[in-house]
Amino acid sequence: MIQLKTMLNCIDNSGAALVECAMVVGQKRHASIGDRIVVVVQEQTKAHAAGMASGGPKVKRGDIRHAVVVRTRYRVQRRDGSSIRFEDNACVLINKAGDPVGSRINGAVGSELRKKKWSKILSMAPMQV
Amino acid sequence: MNVAPVIRRPLASLKNSLRKQREIRRLLATTTEPTSNTSAPPPPPASRSTKPLPESNFFTIPDPKTKQLRTAFAVYSPPRSQPTVAKTTFISTTINPPPPQTLVQAHHDPLPALKQKQISLLDPTGARTALFSRTNRDAARVGDVLMVTHRRGGEPFAGVLMSIRRAGIDTAILLRGRLTKVAVEMWFKIYNRNVAGIEVVHRRKKPARRARLTYLRKSKHDVGDVQSLVFAWKRSRNVLTTGAKSKGQRTGVKGQRLS
Repeated sequence: MIQLKTMLNCIDNSGAALVECAMVVGQKRHASIGDRIVVVVQEQTKAHAAGMASGGPKVKRGDIRHAVVVRTRYRVQRRDGSSIRFEDNACVLINKAGDPVGSRINGAVGSELRKKKWSKILSMAPMQV
Repeated sequence: MNVAPVIRRPLASLKNSLRKQREIRRLLATTTEPTSNTSAPPPPPASRSTKPLPESNFFTIPDPKTKQLRTAFAVYSPPRSQPTVAKTTFISTTINPPPPQTLVQAHHDPLPALKQKQISLLDPTGARTALFSRTNRDAARVGDVLMVTHRRGGEPFAGVLMSIRRAGIDTAILLRGRLTKVAVEMWFKIYNRNVAGIEVVHRRKKPARRARLTYLRKSKHDVGDVQSLVFAWKRSRNVLTTGAKSKGQRTGVKGQRLS
């Protein structure tokens, strides 16, 4: 249930740690796993903020970016009757073309991404459930 | 008060009396018809109904027998002829009335049998039912660590059993596990064919005092990662397959694969 003002963890290595949802793209209801949203970067990762990471952060605080929701606290119902609920809301930043900004993803992502055809994010993710 | 207009305007009195006649007729139709079987062919009108009549003296007929006025507008239903009475008695005596049977008695609820049939179809060996039955002592209980294997590939999901939603064929279990440091809760339908196996990895030492361990969501009570338990259980399972005895041989249900 990602909507305006929802704070999400950013789980890629783009440099953003915490982002705020500013808009749900393409639909009038709340966003779920696999939906595209517009976010504002609120906090950078500590490594990037301290300037320790190589190459520097790709995004900065205050940046407006697109992102894909990969985990939600709200239950996602599946076709076979099972449902899944994560501990946190998480997203991965993408550019306007739909390619991920970061090059790595830390943490599990929901397999609803496969249905929504986010294959690049799925291939980067260490685990999909 | 009504007297003066009656005198001055005869039509008004006609209207008034007509209204009265209509009322009387309605009254008589309701009162005389059921009693017409027993009473004499011309049912005597009630004296009450004749009381308002004399003042108009227009639609009344003097009854020769009773010397009473009766209204000419009353509908006197013809007396029920004897054959019809006989007919009714014939019907009432020969045909036995059906025994009082409620709808529930006539039509048993078909759903329980249907659901039982569906369950037996989805679970022919009864292993799934037994694993979560209330009576089975070896059944999985809330607080145990279970591992669910999916037929559609993917890694088996292991987690603490938080609650069992018993609803016949829709019976489902809620597991809480941890994947890549993120807690994940999953509901599984136990009779789902895609659920290839449900295994009890670790049993809680004491039975939980709650039916639903929602307090596990609080960080203070969270069990956390159960992978170590799963690894330990897998090791013990391997020992079992080689024939050696171990502590893991405690229950029959433990490590049982569902067909």
